[in-house]
Amino acid sequence: MPNWMQIVRKKLRVLWICSPGFAEELAAHLEDRYEALRCEGLSADVAFQRTIGQIEGRCRVWLVIRFLQEELMSGYITKIALPGLLTSAAAFVFYCALALVHIQPRVIWLLGGQLSLWWWCLLPIYGALGALLSQRKGRSRLQRMAAALLPSTILGTSVLMIFVVGFTMSGFVNHYQLVFARLESLGIVPPGFVLMPAAFSVLGVGIAEISTKKSRLA
Amino acid sequence: MASVNAQIKRGSAELAVLTLLAEHPLHGYEIAKQIEEQTGGVLRFDMASLYPMLHRLERKSWVNAQWQTLPNGRRRRCYRLTASGRKQIAPLRAEWRAFFQALQNVTGFQNA
Repeated sequence: MPNWMQIVRKKLRVLWICSPGFAEELAAHLEDRYEALRCEGLSADVAFQRTIGQIEGRCRVWLVIRFLQEELMSGYITKIALPGLLTSAAAFVFYCALALVHIQPRVIWLLGGQLSLWWWCLLPIYGALGALLSQRKGRSRLQRMAAALLPSTILGTSVLMIFVVGFTMSGFVNHYQLVFARLESLGIVPPGFVLMPAAFSVLGVGIAEISTKKSRLA
Repeated sequence: MASVNAQIKRGSAELAVLTLLAEHPLHGYEIAKQIEEQTGGVLRFDMASLYPMLHRLERKSWVNAQWQTLPNGRRRRCYRLTASGRKQIAPLRAEWRAFFQALQNVTGFQNA
């Protein structure tokens, strides 16, 4: 008998990471299917090929899409959007507070620009906060991650829109210096305000995951 | 056997699953197998449509799922109809009856 759990883990890695329970259920389904085909008199090889066909090619893509669709879109407001927006607001308020009390968080250089290390360092807390708030509602790893990443997604979308508008306008005025400034900022802003915060928020999700698991075990 | 349009299949899937679970608790593979057998293969669920739907029903609290260890030591997630799910069957049946009645009025086809 093939080890269907391992096969599912290998072929549907996304599902395995996001929802191990769901992946285990799929493995159980495949195990039953394989056995049924064997009972019908099919050879082990043919039964294996027919069974594995359910998680290969188009079926695999469709399975992942349907899973993500169900996980992310059902209860989107309470499980992802609200925790994510609360996390965004908390992170933004903190960033403004730092600026208001004249604490200079600009301590490192990245691609020619100065970025907020302190702000980054505290983002895991907000990421964890978003994940925990989401967990209270949804209890799905993927949804918790989406909630923690929502602030970066919002920032990413805003930055993208600002650049699109900026480039369009600088194209109209034909101001090369302005275009150059935009290009320069394009190297600084997305990594500093989108990618790094996203990475730090995910770190927070990881911390929340570990602490939740530990408290469950205790 | 003529194949049934995907939209109709999707719409009728919830009713079929709830009706099956009203008789006794089943796990995913058994649900798919019984529906296929009872409909002569007209309704056939692949994993991509069955499991997301079962999880949706679970989120709606229409079904309750629990891991059980079978006598052979294997673990299976068994779905059981809840009281709330049981209440949904009658309205869903009425909805589908009305749908077929309307279709019958338009097309003139008769149920076999």
